[in-house]
Amino acid sequence: MISRRKFVKHSMQAAAGSSLLLSALQSCTTPSAYPSNLVGPNAQLGHMLRTGKFDAPSESSSADVVIIGGGVSGLSAARYLKKYTGNFILLELDNDTGGNAMAGSNAISAYPWGAHYLPLPGNNDPELIAFLQKANVITGFENGLPVYNEYHLCFDPKERLYINNFWQEGLTPREGVPEKDRQEIERFLALMHDYKDQRGSDGREAFAIPVDHSSQDKKYRVLDSISMEEFLAQNKFTSPYLRWYVNYCCADDFGSSLADTSAWAGIHYFASRKGKAANASSDTMLTWPEGNYWLVKQLRKDVVSQIKTNTLVYSVETTATGVSVLYFDAATNKTKQITAHAAVLATPQFINQRLLKPSLNRALDYTAFQYAPWMVANITLDATLEERKGEKLCWDNVIYGSDSLGYVNATHQQIGFHGNQNVVTYYKPLLGSDIKKLREQAYRATIEDWKTTTLQDLRRPHKDIEHYIKQFDAWVWGHGMIKPSPGFITGETRLQAAVPVEGKIYFAHSDMSGVSIFEEAFYRGHTAIRRILERDLFKIS
Amino acid sequence: MYKQESKAGSFQWLLLISVFVVATCGLIYELVAGTLASYLLGDSVTQFSTIIGTYLFAMGIGSYLSRFLKSNLLSWFISIELLVGMVGGFSAGILFILFEQVVYFRVILYTLVILTGTLVGLELPLLMRILKDRIEFSDLVSRIFTFDYIGALFASLLFPLLFIPYLGLLRTSFFFGFLNVVVAWIVAYKFRNEIRSYHRLKWSAVVCLLLLASGFILSEKLTALAESLTYPDKVVYARSSPYQRIVLTRSVMDWRLFLNGNLQFSSADEYRYHEALVHPGLAQMKAPKHVLVLGGGDGMAVREILKYTSVETITLVDLDKVMTDLFQSNSALMKLNHHALTSPKVRVINTDAFVWIREHQKTFDFIVVDFPDPSNYSLGKLYTVSFYKELYRILAPQGCLVIQSTSPFVAKNSFWIIDRTLRQSGFLTTPYHCYVPSFGEWGFVLGYKESLSQHFNLPKDLRFVNEETIRQMENFPPDMRVAESPYNTLNNQVLVNTFEKEWADYTR
Repeated sequence: MISRRKFVKHSMQAAAGSSLLLSALQSCTTPSAYPSNLVGPNAQLGHMLRTGKFDAPSESSSADVVIIGGGVSGLSAARYLKKYTGNFILLELDNDTGGNAMAGSNAISAYPWGAHYLPLPGNNDPELIAFLQKANVITGFENGLPVYNEYHLCFDPKERLYINNFWQEGLTPREGVPEKDRQEIERFLALMHDYKDQRGSDGREAFAIPVDHSSQDKKYRVLDSISMEEFLAQNKFTSPYLRWYVNYCCADDFGSSLADTSAWAGIHYFASRKGKAANASSDTMLTWPEGNYWLVKQLRKDVVSQIKTNTLVYSVETTATGVSVLYFDAATNKTKQITAHAAVLATPQFINQRLLKPSLNRALDYTAFQYAPWMVANITLDATLEERKGEKLCWDNVIYGSDSLGYVNATHQQIGFHGNQNVVTYYKPLLGSDIKKLREQAYRATIEDWKTTTLQDLRRPHKDIEHYIKQFDAWVWGHGMIKPSPGFITGETRLQAAVPVEGKIYFAHSDMSGVSIFEEAFYRGHTAIRRILERDLFKIS
Repeated sequence: MYKQESKAGSFQWLLLISVFVVATCGLIYELVAGTLASYLLGDSVTQFSTIIGTYLFAMGIGSYLSRFLKSNLLSWFISIELLVGMVGGFSAGILFILFEQVVYFRVILYTLVILTGTLVGLELPLLMRILKDRIEFSDLVSRIFTFDYIGALFASLLFPLLFIPYLGLLRTSFFFGFLNVVVAWIVAYKFRNEIRSYHRLKWSAVVCLLLLASGFILSEKLTALAESLTYPDKVVYARSSPYQRIVLTRSVMDWRLFLNGNLQFSSADEYRYHEALVHPGLAQMKAPKHVLVLGGGDGMAVREILKYTSVETITLVDLDKVMTDLFQSNSALMKLNHHALTSPKVRVINTDAFVWIREHQKTFDFIVVDFPDPSNYSLGKLYTVSFYKELYRILAPQGCLVIQSTSPFVAKNSFWIIDRTLRQSGFLTTPYHCYVPSFGEWGFVLGYKESLSQHFNLPKDLRFVNEETIRQMENFPPDMRVAESPYNTLNNQVLVNTFEKEWADYTR
């Protein structure tokens, strides 16, 4: 029986071996057409902010607080504020909240359009831990360590890298990598690991989350004056494998390349994640089919009635008693006014620049805030992809040498059987220093352009991928992530941005942290509300 | 009159080369048929000798028939070569496709062999007659047979060494059919002035070449279809559901069910497996009322459960409707499971067990977990602490569950990981194992919340399980024990990795 099996196996392999001619013939035929769409934030409504012609408000209302922006920082602020008052409103431009953690879904799976995981949070972040406990992501504690709900921990197999025609397990290059380079990678990782445990002369962690809790020690802050590229050179890291890997990491967390990322931020990626769990290794991620949109749903659970979507705020100014916020309600086609004791701007600075009256006392160099453009594609596949040798399909699948981040399998975290159908989310930060040009190119590109470049990249590990595609959608983030260019983290501008205006306007967006991660947004949202509460502006119910 | 010397020379050589090709192709068709027959029908000695014998005999028929061809010998020769190319070239493909569909497979097989043999048998006598006026007879016989035998040697060496490994069976057969037709075409072209029907032959050749080339290209798909090669016995049912490939085979001895090529049961000894799966646990329950079966769409476990009269409801959750429908409607299979799935006590639910269980609230007295082995990550999820905790939640306080736990002999680490995972999820456990001839040594684990009664209320008509067997089953000799085991979680999937390795080592 075994010999018979072997025979069949061999004749199948032979069939595969002689399929060169076949594939040559097949490639002549065009793959069948499938739906493709370019989706994205509510650009039309957003564009009105630039053109700026609005009628005088037709109605007016009041609240204790107005929160502008329904991304993670705005929702975190709202959730936190809800403990003290229900008399507030959150205005969101888009028709859904979530911001960079937006998600979509189809018959096969939910899938992310942006942020899609949360590393285990540090155990010195009690507010985030409490939130996760409330959301039943943390189910209890054992020996002082949180026990995580297995359903939310990234399932195995987690990560693989396509390198030298082989899928290796894990993302640090190893397969077919010369010994010398491997040693260099080891040395680099050991160095990063050292930074993890280091503290500055002020007793603070060298690299902390939130960023503002990091040590002020010059020894570390000086790293912000050079790029990650220079840092590698100074430390005699020359391996091309290592350079690719570190560049990938910078792109992953910041959407910027080695040369454009501050060494401080680059090291922060490796040295700031210190979470521990009672039931998982410390490098485990929390993730969901819809990515961080799952967390968004938990954040907004108790504040749904306070959220107003499809609203374009176009003016925020201070009054004698607080703030006046003017917005256009796309649902009713009316402009409206809200007066409140305070406003929280959970919007990025390039938006704030347009919302705030120039007369307000906020002298800020807005140009210091640079945002990396991104393209995210969700590709629905109606059969299991043909695979090269090595590790099977993982949660995170990265291609060595590519300037994309590879793809994440959205169906990975599904409990039920989903057959051979999959949705994979492909991430591509547009790397380069001329951001303006990159952004213009990104806005000009058609869905066909994105399809071409994406499939070109994915064809390396999956040569026939076209034949499996059922749907291809792409989302362009013109301002995807704040870029921690050298000097930005330790610069004055970043701190200035967080200073409230006249004690009435507060700022919460994570761009003020210099790193665009969930933890920072959550922290910024809470911090803004805490500051408002400190001033006793309204009666707490 | 003879033609010019040089032209006659090239003429001879062309025909002799075609003898060579004809001989090679002829032997290849014979080898293809022999190989296919022995793999499809088993018993290679018998298959090879009967195929070769029939083939040679058919060649004799062909030689005999050649006398009835009186004129237009060249066009006859070319036409026959075209026919041989088509019949021989397509024979493997036809046999592949028809094997599963046709009851009288042998009839078709031997018809094809006889047809090919007859046509090949016609060729040489015809050729000799064509050449007889042009070459000295002794030279003719010597050359023709020399080329014939060289061709045979060529074919018999290259077939196993080159063609099967690199082209595969189907492509080899199409390839030689192609070659045959090409030679016919070249001969037709060279002698276009001597034959009347050159254009008709040319166009026939073109059509044949196109057909054979498309067969060559499509043969990959055919090979994928021809799964019958993997089964030792006759395939009587084969169907792909959205989730798996279901194949049922029948031999004199037994019925066998394969899911994705893995044996699920043999009717000859499945009673051992299913009695061992159900009774050691269920017989210890005091008047069990509500039973849950996860997986087990063949209804065999349900058949055993129905032997307990106290049982009021059996809920069967199996993902695959095709599977449960088959065992609810096919009379031969319903005979095997004693019509278990049509019992009024049984409720069949076709959904994902993990999704279903997370939403289910009511408790069960006894739960049978009979999933396929944890051979991939999707199945691995059904062997995790998370899944077992859900089971714990819906198991009655004095209830008990049993898990089919792969082979503790072949995959002993996997087996003990399942036991450890159950304990990690809060269960007390009793691992046990038994011998099922078609599977080998097979393992199960009982999980419960409070110690079991150790009092067995076994049904009367069991063939394998009694109290003595149960005691023996709980004994693990040293070669099936391990010192320590990790437990399986969604985020480590240690079981799948272990299982894969253990079975790969075993089947290497």
